[in-house]
Amino acid sequence: MNKIYYLLLITLPFAQQLDPVDVALDELRTVVETASRSNQRVFVDDFTGLL
Amino acid sequence: MLDDYPETLMNIEWHNPSFTPGNSDFDIPEYSSRASMYGVGGIPHTQWNGVQETVGGYANGNWQAFIGTFTSLYNSMVGEETPYEISINGYAGSEVSYDVTISMDADMSNSNQKVDIFVVEDNIWSYWTGASQYHNARNVARDWLTTQDLTISTAGESETFSGTFDMDEDWNADSIKIIAIVQNYVSKQVYQVTAVNINDMNPDIDDDGILNGEDNCIDIFNPGQEDYDNDLIGDACDPCDNLVYILGNLNGDTDENGIPVIDIMDVLSLVDFLIFDDSYECQDPILNINGDEFVNVVDVIALVQSILNGDN
Repeated sequence: MNKIYYLLLITLPFAQQLDPVDVALDELRTVVETASRSNQRVFVDDFTGLL
Repeated sequence: MLDDYPETLMNIEWHNPSFTPGNSDFDIPEYSSRASMYGVGGIPHTQWNGVQETVGGYANGNWQAFIGTFTSLYNSMVGEETPYEISINGYAGSEVSYDVTISMDADMSNSNQKVDIFVVEDNIWSYWTGASQYHNARNVARDWLTTQDLTISTAGESETFSGTFDMDEDWNADSIKIIAIVQNYVSKQVYQVTAVNINDMNPDIDDDGILNGEDNCIDIFNPGQEDYDNDLIGDACDPCDNLVYILGNLNGDTDENGIPVIDIMDVLSLVDFLIFDDSYECQDPILNINGDEFVNVVDVIALVQSILNGDN
């Protein structure tokens, strides 16, 4: 059982450590997704007549 | 303005029957439906992306006085981010078949989101009695083909709406367009629009020799049209083709050879479904492990037994 506690103790400090490569990839993903996001075109319902 | 922004500004002229000469066919029954949607009381009335309106102000076609207002409205809307893109393809003959595909590059709820598909005729030289002059009528509504619920809501998903309509002998075939929009029927917001001349539609997008309307994967080359589970969705584009999502493989994982793997993770997926009602696409047909009427803990036991017995 003690081994499990030791194992937990050792791994805990690293649990929240983010890989800088992952962070860079996330930033790149955000940039690409934003750049490729569809752009709104404009639609006009024009109610009219000929008289 | 339409000619100034041909790629980003699209209109549809709805002609009020009360202001349409007897010898004109510009008025169609659908006018009242569209007008009542916005509470249109009279003409002229413009509705920009469903949410901004101008009422009156340019009688007898003197809309030049409104160019500043229109330009301002246009600039306030064009280029905004939207999750939707629309493509229109099909085949044009005496009967026109069309495939309107909506794709999403970001998540958005599909609640009250609908797809409207219209037929318009552009550039009709016509006499405007009120203005005592001839003018070029742009994108006159000829038909409101359909309104369909949009079911997709997640980035990466797409949905295709197919149909046909007959060409009227009085229409100029070279000027007929299909317009498709995504609109929220509560807020009235139009989230995207695309228009295409029917002569510019691609009848076979993936160039596999199968016309779009008959192709079980419209945009993926699959001339063989393989469909293992006979659900009319080709294997090439069917995530639930029963090759991976077989009974018990609830998480859809495979080994390096593409063979489904049924293990403890599938048991956990089944438990997730039972406790949290947490399921996803393709799971429904493969949850009921023992084949009775219910999906319950007995199916968990059956799946565990199956794994322990090495049945898979």
